[in-house]
Amino acid sequence: MKLPALLVDSYWVFWREMKRLLVQRARIAIAAVQPLIWLILMGNAMGGLTANPTTARLLGTQNYLEFMTPGIMIMSTLFGGVFGGISVIWDRRTGFLNKMLAAPIKRAAIPVGKITAISLQSVVQVTFIAAIAAAMGVHFATGVPGFLLLLCIMILFSYGIAGISLALASVLRSHEALMAVTNLLTLPMVFASNAIFPREAMPTWLKTIATYNPLTYAITPLRTLVLEGWVWEKIWPGLLAMGLFAFVAVMVSARQFARSGA
Amino acid sequence: MTPIIEAEGLTKVFPGHIVAVDHVSFAVEQGEIFGFLGPNGAGKSTTIMMLTTLLRPTAGHARVAGFDVVRQPERVRASLGYVSQDLAVDDNLTGMENLILQAGLYHLPRQEARRRIAEVLHLVGLAHRAKDRVETYSGGMRKRLDIAAGLLHQPKVLFLDEPTLGLDIQTRREIWRYVRDLRANTGMTVFLTTHYMEEADLLCDRVGIIDRGQIKAVGRPAELKAGLGGDVITLRLAGIASTTEVTAVLRRIPSVNDVRFYNGEHVITARDGEKTLPLVFEALQQVREKVVAVTLKQPSLEDVYLAITGRGLRDDQESREDAIRHRIRMRRVRA
Repeated sequence: MKLPALLVDSYWVFWREMKRLLVQRARIAIAAVQPLIWLILMGNAMGGLTANPTTARLLGTQNYLEFMTPGIMIMSTLFGGVFGGISVIWDRRTGFLNKMLAAPIKRAAIPVGKITAISLQSVVQVTFIAAIAAAMGVHFATGVPGFLLLLCIMILFSYGIAGISLALASVLRSHEALMAVTNLLTLPMVFASNAIFPREAMPTWLKTIATYNPLTYAITPLRTLVLEGWVWEKIWPGLLAMGLFAFVAVMVSARQFARSGA
Repeated sequence: MTPIIEAEGLTKVFPGHIVAVDHVSFAVEQGEIFGFLGPNGAGKSTTIMMLTTLLRPTAGHARVAGFDVVRQPERVRASLGYVSQDLAVDDNLTGMENLILQAGLYHLPRQEARRRIAEVLHLVGLAHRAKDRVETYSGGMRKRLDIAAGLLHQPKVLFLDEPTLGLDIQTRREIWRYVRDLRANTGMTVFLTTHYMEEADLLCDRVGIIDRGQIKAVGRPAELKAGLGGDVITLRLAGIASTTEVTAVLRRIPSVNDVRFYNGEHVITARDGEKTLPLVFEALQQVREKVVAVTLKQPSLEDVYLAITGRGLRDDQESREDAIRHRIRMRRVRA
């Protein structure tokens, strides 16, 4: 009884988010163009690195774009997720949040529906990136099944990041504060991970941070799937970590919304 | 019959010892239009938010449609419709989509949802604009759509928080008509808040006068006005004699019930206003005071408010900017 109600209520929250997204054409255009810029810019700027055999060994490929593709996928998902909380703050200002809170829905449906919408956007975006990358000559070592697993990991990562963003938004209550906290966390998180640079090339202290960074946990299995193949001992720790991350973040945000009001 | 809304000692204290609602008790009967009248910041919205389970009371109890707002919040939410003062409709969606969403959030079966959406759209006169995005709607249309959404699941109680705030007088009258028609057609109970005394007077069966978080009086508008004991005479004087002197001589007139000095005017409540007026002039001659302007009228709820609280309804609204800032501030402490 409890599960279906939560699912149905989440569906309606999700339905609204998707309707909103579809009328905001600019948002869709930006979501498509942004990873394209990353791919072309990074691919060209850093492409020369692989001419050095040491770097090529560290990157694990002769094609820097191949190394970067999972990194760009995860960054798109990260940026999509961290700003998820903005919609909650906006809903609070317009009174729509109160309208939903006064409805006889499971309150956890509000974060779950919103997070699911964000996650679906990331799936579409990542698929788009994969198509562009493939067209630019990136070869996926594990093919379509590997890409599907990659999407699963991406969904879990998106649930985790968006969950944290929504939980933060329920505490911070202003766009400015949320942006500040988000910016404070996001970029260091990217640079202190193996999204752009291989961990092996980092100084020891940064390597230590990168090892425990959730972003690294997400990227390692993705990169393995793209560059190496079905090397399970490099895939399952990340998959497990992402599952746990998503679960905890969604629970925390659900709790935040359940607590608001009486 | 048990009342459909019951509040007993309802209290809300915000951090920093701000007592927004102070031991408020009242009951609303089934089918009534009951209004809370008071200036901004009197605690009206905070009361509504406690009754709609959006805020947890610091103390006291409340029951809506027989369910306790703290112990059975989900049952309470299913029984009520809530239309906040915020115009809480999604501008990116069409009017129809807003209502489809509302139907989903209130678990209406598909067929019934379709029928009722058509019904409420017709009721608020938006059927011809249903397929347009809300962005293109005027303020009054948005408000009507918001009310339509609040009505969609045929709640036992409809809460309207400042239903006509910021709307022009024509739209305001339209909204009043919708609310009255609604009650006539469905027998729905309506609980509303307002700081427009005209709105309380014309729309409400009973009014609760709320000031600084406390209920000062409850009754039918006519009763409350009759309670003043007659007509209202407003005097603007030249200011030759002192205010206390003037007040003293006026109070000596037998038919005068009360004299207050407010906003540069003496406001007198008296039985038989027409017959009292000559006595007032005589009394003023005794203290050599001259009258600059005088009005005699039937009392309004505003006069009731003034008599009960000693302050005017507009006291707390210095400017539009202040009102906006106040609302943002109140929202911040409430949320």
